[in-house]
Amino acid sequence: MQQQEIHDFLRTYFQANDCEILNDGGSHLTVQLSIDMDKELMNRPFYWHYLEKTGGIPNPAVITFITNPEQAPADLKGEMIHFGSPRLHQIIQSTKKLAGYTRLFENAPPVKSGGNNPLFPWLTLNVKISYQCDRKKDTFMSIGLNLISGEIMEGFHNRLLPIKVTPKIPDYSFTLSPLIMPKSGLARLDTYIRTSFEGDDHLWAEEAMKRWQDDLKLLEHFYKDMEEKSDSYFTEKEALKAQYEPNIRISIINGGLFYLSERALG
Amino acid sequence: MKINISSNSEWNDEFLQKIENDGPWGNWELYKLAVQMEENLIIPDFEGLQAPKHLPHLTPLPHQLEAAKQVVEKMNGKAILADEVGLGKTIEAGLILKEYMIRGLVKKVLILVPASLVSQWAFELNTKFHIPAVAQRKSYVWESCDVVISSIDTAKRAPHRDIIFNQEYDFIIIDEAHKLKNNKTKNYEFVQNLKKKFCLLLTATPIQNKVEEIFHLVSLLKPGHLGNASLFSEKYKGKGRNIIEDEHLKELVNTVMIRNRRADTGIEWTKRHVETITIEFSPTEQALYDAVSQFKPISEGTKGSTFSALTLQREACSSREAVYYTLKNMKAKYEDPSPDYMEKLDDLFTKVNETVQNSKAEKALELIKKIDDKVIIFTEYRATQLYLQWYLQQNGISSVPFRGGFKRGKKDWMRELFQKNIQVLIATEAGGEGINLQFCHHLINFDLPWNPMRLEQRIGRIHRLGQEEDVRIYNFATKNTVEEHILKLLYEKINLFEKVIGELDDILTKLDISNIEEYLIDVVGESKTEGEMKIKMDNFSSLIQFAQSMKEGEVHAATGNS
Repeated sequence: MQQQEIHDFLRTYFQANDCEILNDGGSHLTVQLSIDMDKELMNRPFYWHYLEKTGGIPNPAVITFITNPEQAPADLKGEMIHFGSPRLHQIIQSTKKLAGYTRLFENAPPVKSGGNNPLFPWLTLNVKISYQCDRKKDTFMSIGLNLISGEIMEGFHNRLLPIKVTPKIPDYSFTLSPLIMPKSGLARLDTYIRTSFEGDDHLWAEEAMKRWQDDLKLLEHFYKDMEEKSDSYFTEKEALKAQYEPNIRISIINGGLFYLSERALG
Repeated sequence: MKINISSNSEWNDEFLQKIENDGPWGNWELYKLAVQMEENLIIPDFEGLQAPKHLPHLTPLPHQLEAAKQVVEKMNGKAILADEVGLGKTIEAGLILKEYMIRGLVKKVLILVPASLVSQWAFELNTKFHIPAVAQRKSYVWESCDVVISSIDTAKRAPHRDIIFNQEYDFIIIDEAHKLKNNKTKNYEFVQNLKKKFCLLLTATPIQNKVEEIFHLVSLLKPGHLGNASLFSEKYKGKGRNIIEDEHLKELVNTVMIRNRRADTGIEWTKRHVETITIEFSPTEQALYDAVSQFKPISEGTKGSTFSALTLQREACSSREAVYYTLKNMKAKYEDPSPDYMEKLDDLFTKVNETVQNSKAEKALELIKKIDDKVIIFTEYRATQLYLQWYLQQNGISSVPFRGGFKRGKKDWMRELFQKNIQVLIATEAGGEGINLQFCHHLINFDLPWNPMRLEQRIGRIHRLGQEEDVRIYNFATKNTVEEHILKLLYEKINLFEKVIGELDDILTKLDISNIEEYLIDVVGESKTEGEMKIKMDNFSSLIQFAQSMKEGEVHAATGNS
């Protein structure tokens, strides 16, 4: 991830959370936090508790982030932000928390003047699928389910990006009621995700099983002469399971309901 | 193949709840950001290292990156990191830990290090690796913090022990792991009973004396990898340190151990300058040395007696205080000594009292004044340490002591004082391990240990990565004493001091001597004449030289990480 991308991310994050950008120098960013964002990021519950009890004047923090130390003024004080910095990860977590669920409507111009636009309900999930043994890799998947037709589309998030959406239902638009209830929609998507990797070749898991078996054999051999196995034998056996046992984890990044016109997805 | 698949239903429940309550809903900009950032955090491959991307301020050396990669990809996260002293094992461990944390495979971590290193580890992990490691000071820390650093001595004691056994650790790091070479110790048993999913053992000296040591270390990490105990000893017993000659065993060990050598890393090291300073006894000191040389202490067996006699001689080369302390212990030990023995002891006490000066200390003072910079003095004896501190203070030189027995806070404090305000640090052997003092580049060996590896460790405290100056080592040896024999007949002959760190380790590996210290005591103590001793010492040093020449012929083939 490039420093520029991090800079843009921070700017968008704070703007979207109604914080005033006091200075955006391209290589650094100074932000006046809102009260809510101070509570979200600054980890000072006692201050806020005290203030609320005493009725004092709130003074949310101003933070400066330096995203490009080579170009930022040398005397500028601020937090260095890079891909591994804990602050960046805190803000990413906060983003996920604040935008875990959404519901949006397409702001589509009416098909013909005076007419009304029907909007179709789509349920979407963005998920991370992790393949885990003693190693790990992830894949990203975005899918959408048409709650009327039952059609499922992959790469859904990228299709949404160019569409103009709004949190309130626009004039001259109306929503169609879903035939598939959200709950069973979720179940359908879950099944879809699971089948998506079912047919894959899971060589990684087979190899992990083999490593596990190999180590187990060694362990058995090591304790061979011990008639009543010691605790350490069982601990070690548990540890090998924890280390090698293959599993696949599906975690939802975010998702929601999108009401889209028939033409929206082309 | 059936693979367990799990998903989290919490999201679903909350989503349905929000539909029911008609919100609140997240904002589109943030929603897009969350996806964008998560896509950035996706780790697309099982292989490769993610950690360097997360650590732009850290520039690991190529051998450190290679080591990290190998541990993750080839060793399944269980390894002995056995780089030679000063090549940055901590950096390698940090990289590996970071890698697993980024990949989400590790959350709960236990790091066991010598007490003197706890704060240093915490500092390095936090600043260099952004890993929120916490030094264990309160007992709730075990449960409430994810990454905890402690000394093994604290961890194995109640109530900590039980709390630790109840934690599910994903990753365990043990620094100075050669201390676990004996499987009969409490420490060994403690570590053996820890659940080790991923585990790193760090040591610069994986084998110090006996081949069994490597067996015990590997068995902690991966029980059975070198077979079981009875089979192993049947096959390799009595083979000493030259086991690495055994191709099969070497291969096995190399699949769980990474050993980078200084020579292989291509790093430019600052030089070592070694100066031997010969000291002559004053008449009273000579009288004390002669008296203890004549003395035959009571002890079980001849070996023990030789050992005590030699100890007294070596102490007499260090300080009269050291001799006094040992004599006092000898006196207290025997409830019913013969009058003759008592008389001899009393005579020695008199000699101690008559000794009026310490020629070595005078020399040290002169040298310290001349150096006019930070100096570390190493001594084997605590009594000498105390005396030196007093003596230097009398002469207007500030110093701090350093011992293995100090509590962690005190060690940190002493190191800090030494770095900031104090000119001299006086350390005993136990304090020699695991403290990094690369801000200092003068070292005085006030007396010499008889185990060359320990000497290595002393020097390794200052001659390590980060040392920017040439390192100056001053060896004190008193003329016509056992000390001079060891220095002149052995250490200087094998050019011990000029060797780059770790080379010696290599050479000793080749020799079939199970315990060097015992061997030397035998040579020096049991030889009937000086001539005999010289011949034996010569033989020993040619043996080392021979091994060395062998080594030069096959630097990589012998012990490299193939």
